[in-house]
Amino acid sequence: MGSPEISKTTLTDYMLERKIGAGRVPLSFDFELTARCNNDCGHCYINVPAEDARYQEEELSLQEIERIADEAVAMGTLWCLLSGGEPLLREDFDDVYLSLKRKGLLVSVYTNASLITERHVELFKKYPPRDLEVTVYGVTPETFARVTNRPSGFSQFQRGLNRLLDNKIPVRLKAMALRSNVHELPEIAAFCREHTKDYFRFDPLLNLRHDRDPARNQRILAERLTPEEIARIDHADLERSEALRKDCGIYIHDAVEQEDCAHLFHCGAGLNSFHLSHNGQFRLCGSLCAPDCVYDLRNGSLREAWTQFAPRVLAMETTDSEVRRKCIHCPIFNLCLWCPAHAYLECGHLDRWSEYFCKVAHAREAALKDRLG
Amino acid sequence: MTDMSLNDVCRKSDDIVAREIEGEMIIIPMTAGIGDMEDEIYALDEISLDIWNRIDGIKSAGQIAQELDAAYDASLETIQADVLGLLGELVKRGIILT
Repeated sequence: MGSPEISKTTLTDYMLERKIGAGRVPLSFDFELTARCNNDCGHCYINVPAEDARYQEEELSLQEIERIADEAVAMGTLWCLLSGGEPLLREDFDDVYLSLKRKGLLVSVYTNASLITERHVELFKKYPPRDLEVTVYGVTPETFARVTNRPSGFSQFQRGLNRLLDNKIPVRLKAMALRSNVHELPEIAAFCREHTKDYFRFDPLLNLRHDRDPARNQRILAERLTPEEIARIDHADLERSEALRKDCGIYIHDAVEQEDCAHLFHCGAGLNSFHLSHNGQFRLCGSLCAPDCVYDLRNGSLREAWTQFAPRVLAMETTDSEVRRKCIHCPIFNLCLWCPAHAYLECGHLDRWSEYFCKVAHAREAALKDRLG
Repeated sequence: MTDMSLNDVCRKSDDIVAREIEGEMIIIPMTAGIGDMEDEIYALDEISLDIWNRIDGIKSAGQIAQELDAAYDASLETIQADVLGLLGELVKRGIILT
């Protein structure tokens, strides 16, 4: 008998060493626990009012969640992200969270922090989430209220966040760069960097609504920054600017892949992860809402969704020569928000060019080249 | 190393989840204090797994060693020392309880 050994490692290192997930394995999933939210942010792609009874009724029950999670675990899933809407609006949040943890999943949570109670603090202290991420919409009551449309929002956010920080629960802070808060972005970034557990990131790119509601889309369009503003804030933030400069080879390719591939999907969607919507829709990623690309897990199994349905979606092709030329083989693809999912949200087709995305990408390219000299 | 005796009976903690991944067993902590870093896990080698599978809250360390004696080409004393060594490590890390 050799000596028995137990080795302490991280799951990521363990998997890399053994090449686990080298094939198509659903290693992680994002779960939109609810589409409801106590904030009413104009830029949000999903939120409906907290009291929306129809949406609440549609939400997966704890039993349904457990059935899907059991299947996922059996198929090799290790990570799960709980998001929303605001996931803490679910009265059974604690039960869902603990149930997923008990299945051996490493669970992360995205929250706006305003509903954090002492009970949540105790839960997260005893059963730590892998990551807890909070979006900071503003650092003054006025800006916070302008973004969230909730006059008392800032004090509730502060109270919730302080509960986490005072109890030494590590929180990662992030921000959206919006028309309503861009004037305050440097202060938001400073606040986040002071309190975040590791790093801070912000996102100036807004997707349109998953429900394609025209009135709500108008609110998102009103929050979008111009391409030039996006390029400017990319470089006004020194840390971000330096990261872009350092990795410019990733963002600007010298040569375009010449192979005339008609496949629509060139991203990682559906290769090692999937998305679960509040009402049990399986998607390759959160944004891929086109009717042909969603599978109802209430009327089927995760195994069938993953092994039969997803490969059919991944095999989809386009005949649109413009999108092949301008988007799929674009040398600055990685500076662009374009993908089939976002194209569908933008114009109702998976394979259409988007003027806004294109202008943003080219403005970013010009700013990056300028920075590189 | 925790002092363990062959009479000790151990059970698995409720605060961990043991999962098999592609034929290997890993232990995922659920609570604070067992794994304190992100994604921290424990991996068991083949011999550890043989011991792990016998931890049931009923068998003593000595009984586990006795069972393994038939399967391994080593003296009972060596096997007992290895079993006690592993159980001690697992107790120290809060993965099993005496």
